[in-house]
Amino acid sequence: MAKANRTIVGSPLTPTLLADLGALAERWVSPDTPDSRNRWTRMYRIWTCHGYRETGNDDVGYLRVRKEPSSAEGTFRLRVEQVVVETDALRSRIEADIVCRNDELASPVKWRLSSRFFGPDNEEQGDLGLAETVSVQADTLVIETSGATRRRQVPVPLTSDWSLFEAVERLDVDTARKWEVNLLAGLSVLMPGQKISYRGLCQEKLGSRAIPLHCFRQLGHGVLPTEYWLDRDRRLLAVISMNKAYILDDQAEDAIERRQRALQESYRKAQMRRRKAGQ
Amino acid sequence: MRGETEMNERSKMNRREFIKFGGSAVALVTHGAATARSRAAAPRRPRPKNILLIITDQQHIDTIRAGGCAHVRTPALDRLKRRGVSFTQSYSANPVCSPARSAIFSGRTSSEAAVPVNGRPIRSELPNLGQWFSAHTDYETFYAGKWHLPRTYTSDIPGFKVLHTGIGGFGYLCDTLMSRACEGFLRNRSRSRPFLLVTSFMQPHDICEWLRLNTEDPGRLRYPELEGQLPPLPENFDFDTREPEVVSRGRASDEPFKTGWSRRQWRYYLWSYYRNIEYVDGQIGRVLQALDDCGYAEDTLVVFTADHGEGLAHHQTVRKNTLYDEAVRVPLIVSWPGHVPQDRTEAAHLASGLDILPTLCAYAGIAAPEHMRGKNLRGVLENGTPARDFIVSEVAGNMGRMVRSERYKYVVYAGDSTEQFFDMKNDPGETRNLAAEARCASAVAEHKDLLRQWESRLDVPKAVSHRDAWWYIR
Repeated sequence: MAKANRTIVGSPLTPTLLADLGALAERWVSPDTPDSRNRWTRMYRIWTCHGYRETGNDDVGYLRVRKEPSSAEGTFRLRVEQVVVETDALRSRIEADIVCRNDELASPVKWRLSSRFFGPDNEEQGDLGLAETVSVQADTLVIETSGATRRRQVPVPLTSDWSLFEAVERLDVDTARKWEVNLLAGLSVLMPGQKISYRGLCQEKLGSRAIPLHCFRQLGHGVLPTEYWLDRDRRLLAVISMNKAYILDDQAEDAIERRQRALQESYRKAQMRRRKAGQ
Repeated sequence: MRGETEMNERSKMNRREFIKFGGSAVALVTHGAATARSRAAAPRRPRPKNILLIITDQQHIDTIRAGGCAHVRTPALDRLKRRGVSFTQSYSANPVCSPARSAIFSGRTSSEAAVPVNGRPIRSELPNLGQWFSAHTDYETFYAGKWHLPRTYTSDIPGFKVLHTGIGGFGYLCDTLMSRACEGFLRNRSRSRPFLLVTSFMQPHDICEWLRLNTEDPGRLRYPELEGQLPPLPENFDFDTREPEVVSRGRASDEPFKTGWSRRQWRYYLWSYYRNIEYVDGQIGRVLQALDDCGYAEDTLVVFTADHGEGLAHHQTVRKNTLYDEAVRVPLIVSWPGHVPQDRTEAAHLASGLDILPTLCAYAGIAAPEHMRGKNLRGVLENGTPARDFIVSEVAGNMGRMVRSERYKYVVYAGDSTEQFFDMKNDPGETRNLAAEARCASAVAEHKDLLRQWESRLDVPKAVSHRDAWWYIR
């Protein structure tokens, strides 16, 4: 569609706007029965927006976050799996097993992380993958990769973006409270000076329904304003940061599998066309 | 020292690879001839073991903390700047994505490369950086991230093995994955094999999405706590309205003028852009850290630049596509410990995106392809030897060209009677158009003449639409 024929979205994404743009799953609003606070699984669809209403808004991946009890006192475990499908059906898979302190912002104590990359025929690109084991010792990360150990100083307090998916469900819904923390985005890239605050209970429109949602917001270096939207049971329904949204959707994995297959098919056809053109 | 026989064998092998990588038969013949020249001409100067070319998308030149920008935190670019030479007068060859990239990768002007606008491939007769290095060096050539010649992302780039692609225009997500892939590449790779790696980030280009998601000025800050943190507007926010019509028309169609932004909304836009800069700095930092950790840093030539700049409220513009400095001037940093001086700011010499290919060829010890429009900057970098007196950039949709000399800048757009002429020494913000002033007549004439000479050398292919206009704007 020509640019001139597209409609600019015009204002920042909110749950109301996501619903308006057709980005929310039918069963987006939480079921009646709340989860256990100590053990749950959440699946989020990763949705991106080009800023136009009609085109360029895609589901590009999923993020699964599992919370489990941990054997170590005062901690719990987050198991994270993120899959993103990219142009020409390339795919990245990041898995992290994080032991978090049971504090307000779920500070990571130690973790194992693997990043793996796959080609259009699902073949793993072993030369790009990495596996690392990290422990936090005061203000130092001790990182082991392929038998080598390196140390990296970090500011404290420290959390990760994935930890916040859990922590934000436990934060006080109190507009007077502020939390300051340094963020390890993807457990690796430091984004310091994050400030998290509670914005309030907002009435969001989902079609004809108006529902109240709690909103926390995060501002800081290296990130565009990030808003966390939770239902009355304090279950995290969406994380929205500028043109990207994580949207609670238990069908997300299937949706991304379908997208992957469609991209593979399209890639193969393009390859065939190229081969024919080259003959 | 490498033996001649070994070199010949490698050249044969690499020519075969070049065919595999997609070079046309015509191009191969041309390159074969050039190979012989390159062997004869290869200077015996130190050669970096590896080359890392880092490109960001839409990065305004004044966005590095160590370069004086107080509104951002950029530890990775700060460190890179301290390790090398940074140019303050470095210009994109065309302040639009695909055309700028065509110039970087082919060493020819965007109109010559047949990429005057976005989404076109470099014409097949011109070798790109990867093809040229594959054919003439023993560097293995790798590419990660945005390409846009023609597709934004693709796993099929002639001359390169593609490590990683991306998603549409979403830097915020895919740059993270791309930098992870590059980190994995560096940490897993055997150190014995030289590489040329291009890491091409999408950010801070996501400001384009931001503009479409913040077109409406709500009349208040969505995040009131930012009130005291918003950067000030640039000094040249107000500007000389004696400007070409195509520029004022372009401005009027941009988001801030659709809804009449308040100064506060303009400042919020600046704040948001700087966050994108910090984000991409983090990703660059990951790659540079891997380079350090793996012991590559000492023998790797690192070149950092952007395809083009960003309006950033200068002249009340957003995005690019003009020939004002905010859109066309870009960061350019080069480092190679022990060879390129550390922590030197190069303010005297002009540089262009057209210089990247000939400069990398010089460092690799090979001749550049024929008819390069840019210069080899190695002499400037290592001992301050002047490379040129002026540079020329051109711009896509508006069909304009500029001549930037040491002192002045002359700008002309096809079919537009209003020219621009700025005294860049006394008016670096380009706020007073001197084109019509009698005292500048001879200087204007000199710059027009430089442009005529430049244009007379161009080889704009027939396939380029409005070819005649592109050939001679002046």
